[in-house]
Amino acid sequence: MKKLFLSCLAIVISLLFGALILWLMGKDPVAAYMNLLQGSGLMHKVKYAGRQSMFTDFMSFIDAMTPMIFASLSVALALKGGFFNIGVSGQMLAAGIAAHMLSGVIPSRVLVVLAGFLAGAVVGALIGWLKCRFNVNEVVSSIMLNSVIMYLVTFYINVFYINPVSRQSKSIADAARLTLNGYRWENLKMDIPLAFPLAVITALFLHWVLERTTYGYEVKATGLSPKAAYYAGMNVNRTALMTMTLSGALAGLAGVSYFCGYLAAIQPGVTPSMGFDAIAVSLLGGNNPVGCVLASFLITIISKGTVYMSSRQHIEPEIASLITAFILTFAACSAVLDRRKK
Amino acid sequence: MLDMIIIDGLSFALPLFIMAIGGIYSEKSGVTNLALEGFQGFGAFTGAFAVVYLAGIFGTGSQIPYYAGFVCAVIGGGIFALLHALLCIRFKADQVISGVVMNILAMALTSFLTKSINASVFGSSANKFTLGASTRITIPGLSDIPVVGAVFRDIYPFEIIIVIAALVMWYVLYRTAYGMRLRACGDNPHSADAAGINVYAVRTVAVFISGCLSGIAGLSFAYSVSANFSPDIYLGYGYLSIAALIFGNWSILPSLFACLIFGFARSGGAAIIHQLGLPSAYNDLVRILPYVLTLLLLVFFSKHNHSPRALGQVYDKGRR
Repeated sequence: MKKLFLSCLAIVISLLFGALILWLMGKDPVAAYMNLLQGSGLMHKVKYAGRQSMFTDFMSFIDAMTPMIFASLSVALALKGGFFNIGVSGQMLAAGIAAHMLSGVIPSRVLVVLAGFLAGAVVGALIGWLKCRFNVNEVVSSIMLNSVIMYLVTFYINVFYINPVSRQSKSIADAARLTLNGYRWENLKMDIPLAFPLAVITALFLHWVLERTTYGYEVKATGLSPKAAYYAGMNVNRTALMTMTLSGALAGLAGVSYFCGYLAAIQPGVTPSMGFDAIAVSLLGGNNPVGCVLASFLITIISKGTVYMSSRQHIEPEIASLITAFILTFAACSAVLDRRKK
Repeated sequence: MLDMIIIDGLSFALPLFIMAIGGIYSEKSGVTNLALEGFQGFGAFTGAFAVVYLAGIFGTGSQIPYYAGFVCAVIGGGIFALLHALLCIRFKADQVISGVVMNILAMALTSFLTKSINASVFGSSANKFTLGASTRITIPGLSDIPVVGAVFRDIYPFEIIIVIAALVMWYVLYRTAYGMRLRACGDNPHSADAAGINVYAVRTVAVFISGCLSGIAGLSFAYSVSANFSPDIYLGYGYLSIAALIFGNWSILPSLFACLIFGFARSGGAAIIHQLGLPSAYNDLVRILPYVLTLLLLVFFSKHNHSPRALGQVYDKGRR
């Protein structure tokens, strides 16, 4: 309960901070924040283009939120187990390219999800193995792997898999894409995120695993104090390895729902910033799976609504990541308040 | 071709080295510093802004903006680093999380400010500050020596700044009372405190210094890599320097060795691709080299490394 309060406090302070900046720039903060909600399909816009409505906006909002849920769950699980998984971006890219390559052979949604899950798990397991076997700091190794994967993917796309018009990778086949793009219903045209139910179920399942199973107990014990867990007779190394593997797999699911769902192609030379935003989301959600879903909802409002806000208010869209960064800073501080009062 | 490898390798390795020294200062005092990436970016931002702004006053031919830029980069990086110190030391936040937060904040803040400042001060909609090419210095005489002479050819002025700063920093860390206190705070803050040292103050200054040094590195990268400041400066070089200092076992000279390996692996790889006449897309394969090398080195050296004993621990006076 107190965690919830501290998270809310961090959000409120950051929003006030953002409002102050908007006000200093001579904009109307209230209107700007309302634009955020309107852009996310949570409030009525003044007018809509043909075949669009608040509902279609909301569906694309959910579409953007789905990968964020997976990514934040990945960070949260790792943190519970005492790992700081900053390699979510790289794991997402690895999963995305693996799914793209596989879907070129057999276009199937199930296989895309499986490929993403496995590719992410392999990268996560590698980080966990390096940590357990060689004592390599997981933060440094996952950042190195982020760069390695990014350059490998960039090389592969530029040489073998480029769409010369868009300068991105080729698009994934519609039969394998996790988002039904441009689906017609009544007189509306919308995107339907098929992976969203999976994301919510995964969050609930993870919550159950952490609270109600032996493995979940071991994860938390190892995260809080590896030595105590070891003396209690737990296999610390196996638990840690398992945690990083699962965390990587979740990041892989984020990757496929991002690169083979929300987007249809991979842009070379870029690591998805979602992997880093997911850290903010997870901290904000108190590293609790259900909290992660709620926090994803909030952060996606900011990132998704910005396009509409910046066009209405003539503000640089970078303000969105700035507000997210503020939330992250205050969330880091509030974790401190929490510890101090114990 | 060998000349190119040496010249490019040095201009990459030296900024990495000065940033690694900054990291050593912070970590030797007991504060884990993953925020170097953010420090160098913020330092580069303030420095580049100063350069562009002053170039408008002194004219583009003047050398004053160049050096004033480095002063501003030092100040900017240092001030931004104080935020990390505030979170880690005063608010007792988790140092790893705080470091990552600093990086994200620096990235968001500088890209937002660059655009806003460009729009309001310079009236352009670009997302970068264009610095213009740096002058290069060739030292006559020394540069005529075969092979080794390349070290003294086409030097960026910042390389000289870095060498001087590195010497001073080495002296301060290993030969002065402050340096000894700093190392004591990282190994055993409680006995340092008992000896009358203000642990909080020493650590704050150490983090400040690491920000200052990273600022130099940031502006150097802005000059040597792309001749402008844009959000593209966050390429992970800060993390590379952390890897260098871990590989260098938290001491300055071995870290220099690590940085030189990174620099020459990078320039050597690029030269090979160029020599083989492969398309530029293959450069991406070469860019992996320093990172893979880092991973391998860490695999071999992490077991035997001795990090400062109190590294990453929040110092709380009331606890023993």
